[in-house]
Amino acid sequence: MKQLISLEINGHEYDVPVSPRDVLADVIRKKVGLTGTKKGCGMGDCGACTVLVEDKPVLSCITLAITCNGKKVTTVEGLTLPDGQLNPLQAAFVNHGAIQCGFCTPGMLMSASGLLKRTPKPTLYDIKHEMSGNICRCTGFKRIIGAIELASEAMSKGVK
Amino acid sequence: MFMNNFEYFAPKTPGEAFELVGRLGKKAKILAGGTDLVILMKDKIVSPECLIDITNIEEFEGIKYEPGKGMVIGATTKNSEVQYSEIVKEKYYALAYAAGEIGSSQVRHMGTIGGNSCNASPSGETPTPLVALGAKVIVSSAAGDREMPLEDFITGVRRIDLKEGEILTKFVLPEPAPKSASRYAYMGARDANEIDCVNMAVNIELEADNQTVKSVRLVMGSVFVRPLVSAAVPALLNGKKFSDELVEKAAEAAQGEAKPITDIRASEEYRHTIVGVLARRLLKEAFAAAQEV
Amino acid sequence: MGAWDQRENYVREGKPSYLDERRFTQVGRSVPRIDGPAKAKGEAVYTADMVLPGMVYGKIKRCKEYAHANIKKIDCSKALALPGVLAVLTGDEAPNKWGIVPASANETALAVGKVRFYGEGVAAVAAIDEETAEAACDLIEVEYEPLPALLDPFESMARAGEVNIHENAPDNILHKGDQIYGDVDKAFEKCEYILEKEFKTGRPQHGYIEPMSAVASYDTQNGLLHLWASSQVPHYLHRQMSIVLEMPMSKIRVTLPAVGGGFGGKGEAAASEFVACLLSRKIGRPVKVTFERADVFYTSKGRHPCYMKWKIGLDKDGYIQAVDFDNTMDKGAYAGWGVVVMFYTASMVHLPYKVPNARSLVRNVYTNLPTTGAMRGLGGVQPRFAMECMLDELAEMMGISPYELKMKNAIDSGYTAINNMYVPHTEYKKCLQTAVEKSGYLEKHGKLPFGKGIGLAGGYYISGTAYTLYQSYKPHTSVTLKVDTEGGVTVLCAAAEIGQGCNTVMAQMAAEALGVHYEDVHVQTGDTEIGSFDLGSFASRLTYASGYAINEAAREINFKLREMAGGLLGCRADHLEIKDRMIYSMFEPKFKIEWATVVQKYVNSVGALSAVGHFSPPRRKGIDIITGNRIQGANIGHSPTFGFSCQIHEVEVDVETGRVYVKKVTEAGDCGTAVNPMSVDGQVEGSIMFNMGACLYEDMKFDAKGKHLNPNFHDYKCPTFMEMPDMDTNIVDSYDPTAPFGVKETGEGAVQPTFPAITNAIYDAIGVRFYQVPITPEMILKALKEKKEKEAGCGCGCGA
Repeated sequence: MKQLISLEINGHEYDVPVSPRDVLADVIRKKVGLTGTKKGCGMGDCGACTVLVEDKPVLSCITLAITCNGKKVTTVEGLTLPDGQLNPLQAAFVNHGAIQCGFCTPGMLMSASGLLKRTPKPTLYDIKHEMSGNICRCTGFKRIIGAIELASEAMSKGVK
Repeated sequence: MFMNNFEYFAPKTPGEAFELVGRLGKKAKILAGGTDLVILMKDKIVSPECLIDITNIEEFEGIKYEPGKGMVIGATTKNSEVQYSEIVKEKYYALAYAAGEIGSSQVRHMGTIGGNSCNASPSGETPTPLVALGAKVIVSSAAGDREMPLEDFITGVRRIDLKEGEILTKFVLPEPAPKSASRYAYMGARDANEIDCVNMAVNIELEADNQTVKSVRLVMGSVFVRPLVSAAVPALLNGKKFSDELVEKAAEAAQGEAKPITDIRASEEYRHTIVGVLARRLLKEAFAAAQEV
Repeated sequence: MGAWDQRENYVREGKPSYLDERRFTQVGRSVPRIDGPAKAKGEAVYTADMVLPGMVYGKIKRCKEYAHANIKKIDCSKALALPGVLAVLTGDEAPNKWGIVPASANETALAVGKVRFYGEGVAAVAAIDEETAEAACDLIEVEYEPLPALLDPFESMARAGEVNIHENAPDNILHKGDQIYGDVDKAFEKCEYILEKEFKTGRPQHGYIEPMSAVASYDTQNGLLHLWASSQVPHYLHRQMSIVLEMPMSKIRVTLPAVGGGFGGKGEAAASEFVACLLSRKIGRPVKVTFERADVFYTSKGRHPCYMKWKIGLDKDGYIQAVDFDNTMDKGAYAGWGVVVMFYTASMVHLPYKVPNARSLVRNVYTNLPTTGAMRGLGGVQPRFAMECMLDELAEMMGISPYELKMKNAIDSGYTAINNMYVPHTEYKKCLQTAVEKSGYLEKHGKLPFGKGIGLAGGYYISGTAYTLYQSYKPHTSVTLKVDTEGGVTVLCAAAEIGQGCNTVMAQMAAEALGVHYEDVHVQTGDTEIGSFDLGSFASRLTYASGYAINEAAREINFKLREMAGGLLGCRADHLEIKDRMIYSMFEPKFKIEWATVVQKYVNSVGALSAVGHFSPPRRKGIDIITGNRIQGANIGHSPTFGFSCQIHEVEVDVETGRVYVKKVTEAGDCGTAVNPMSVDGQVEGSIMFNMGACLYEDMKFDAKGKHLNPNFHDYKCPTFMEMPDMDTNIVDSYDPTAPFGVKETGEGAVQPTFPAITNAIYDAIGVRFYQVPITPEMILKALKEKKEKEAGCGCGCGA
């Protein structure tokens, strides 16, 4: 039943045996061992499991891993710069107080990355509208919005 | 919360897809994004033996517009593509807006416009504007194509007119009339991640005087087993000068046609009220927009 | 990036710095969370992320047929026969009753003999993977004898003779209590303004994003059990494990990995933890049990629905004379925190206003619905909703502003309530003033166009409790500070970092107390074996309690370092000040030496430094201060100090759809010294959204048989980014001289005013008062319709 699929996760090639029913979140977490991606609801309602597939934000808890065969996947671990430093978005989240319990954070960062790839200078409405699939119960969202705005500004000035 | 084991097929060409769909018949479900299907499978509401993933078939995907002729949208076009498309926004505003209000950004990037119709949930977002815009669907199989209005394709709650061996492959939208505009609105408990308690689309065309309604189409979602096309609203407005009094009458008429139910998301009475509110607002909004065209 | 909010340190003018206890360098800084980078990189390890060698997976079989039924038979044979299954477990294998309040402990790891709510666990399976464990659960056959499900506390009391939920509660009541202070009836006789109303609150749940998870590893050779769990109360969890597993606490170690939020829901042990431990002991391998979201909805103990009757009387000048409060609470199936929450609701009538006569009759009633328990602002949110709405209404009766009425009745520092609750310090009036000024409340209230409104409400909360939940005289928090040449400064405390930021705040306070920088401090929390004793993260207790213990430990270390430095510098040790990694004479600038040098000299000559500090709260008794009589349950509600806040909400009501949009919130809070102002703002912003959710959107729903209808995040509607209002949060200048560093709480006080502020704003917008939350669009439309009909008259000419 298992099939070997190939995923390009954070720039590295992984060959993983999967059952068709395996969801991407479980494959990334259990088989590849990248546990930064979180499962908050398992039904696509909270956004904690968000990763980028071909640079687009998707819910890895309801994405069949097998449908991603040969595709490029980016997880929160893939945001960190090659020297281990935080990228501007991660740094903005840390410095602006956008992280409390941190469980929604990987999903927030991935949705925000997807947003900033498409819309480098988002308006407040853009941020609210495109981020609204990610639920946070700690922060009240305000500091997450602030962090995305700061990151957008930093990235527009060429900060890497 | 684990799905049953199933066999997975990812055809690359329409031919392969038709062959599989024909051969596997009822054993298989078509996967076209999965934002609804995977949830149903996790909840064990459906447990198909096979999944046929049609999202790798180029021919089923993409937005093509030809001035004067209209638009063809492939069934596996992601809802986010429809949401962001400048030409959809310009020509079929209600559809672009509805696509952008589906679930969340992630769901829009995963789910497809064809999936949204084939899921045939009464609260589906895009069927309502598609029907208002006069969309037809192309249903294809090894034997050839069938074409029908979307309102005939969706026959009930989670029921569609898809025969064994067939796949929904395209939506065909007519070129919008010159002085026309379309608008969409929905109501739910919150403004994101919502399952609409009512949604609605209005497509209105004006005479050259900018005042008289040449034709209007009002479609309601979530108040019937499938998208409900108002017969009473065009009967009241077509050929008449647009006025607030007429809008009031039209809204009441729409309310009269709606057959909502009470469930966990809203009561029948509330949905009924909202039909009137959205009808009033959308008719005025669409009228104002059509005047500007 | 350094882009965070750089507030001024709390530097006072006009005092020599060495006499100014508020001259902080580490406390009062908006430093980023110390656990932030790991969380941003996806490197923080939460329990569900853990994998131990040989680890297997556990799953719980739940009753999905009934909310109340006797278990006739459980057949696990098919499950055991499934390849990959290692063990099954049923309730009668671990029948000891646990509960955070020992007197009312009545819960078992899995149901024994009977299920009392929909979704209760009846059996469990350990298997080589989660898929197999889940499939095995489906193979377990349970035979039930259904019993009538009691879904409402009044029905439950009325039918107690016929249907009984717990054998030892023949009236279906967990506990009831009367607290009577002064002469309420006589006081009402003299009142000029009296208002009587009934209120009802909904059934929200915490909605923390991390579902509970537990990893247990039992060592069959030495009988030691190690449990990793997503908990906010490692100590209480430790105790419950000992009871259920019949093992001494010394054989059990509880460790918290990163915890993804709690809000009270992880403030008790959970079935995941018991089942992981029991299965691990059974098979001698590590077992992980991670909940699905539905499991969380079934079992996490949300806020008690309260059915409240209120009567408040004011004299002709508007001073509160009497409060009469009757509260029937929906306990759900098991006791949990119930007794405590119940008496908290009674204590909440005594603050933040002066109430000379008060009567609270409270009862907590079992039903066949999910157990209710601790949820952010425990016991405060429901009575605060009612009182703040009623004061708004009473102000209108008097023809004065609600602000004026609240200022008039607000307490001052040093206040002792009639139940002996003592408030050493308050800036509540400053909170009211600040929020009113910044929002323009007085200019807007009553003057906005129909559909737009502004509402004010205040509130307070405890900064810790006076007593443990079981009889004990030990300190509530102990902190070990370790200073050496290798690790620098290490704080060891078995407290729980659940996202509220206690590790960062403890680092800042330890750095302040020791005169170093917060970056120099390592904080080790969340381990019952490594850390010194702590009760856990609840009751907004940790900043105060750990701050106190840190100060005490630091005093000892500083004394030793000063002695050493005095010797090295040739000056008196008590002239030395330690700040900013330097030890210097406060009188002679030339006497100065680096802190690290002194530490090195000390370690070389004496050895590594360590000291333990403790915190025991004042044990104030709940008495009637006029008669001196002890009052049942009135020890609950006392706190070393209290935090205060005021919120002003501006709403827009769509009068056609009934939707309420909160547009702007102006908040002012008294949290004493803000150790980390950015963190305080984060707590307050989170609090506002948290209770905005329960006020307008969130409610758990059930069918007529008690089946859960929305155990998921698509029909249980937490607010999203789209619902977020513009929030202006303000920290008022405050310093509690009795508190370590002048601190108070901020994690729960800020949820208190949200319900009434929104409700009062809705009244201001549409002229309809609501006495029930959540306030849904349908309720708004119905009320508007009724109002319209009333205004139109009844048609008979009577003028009604």
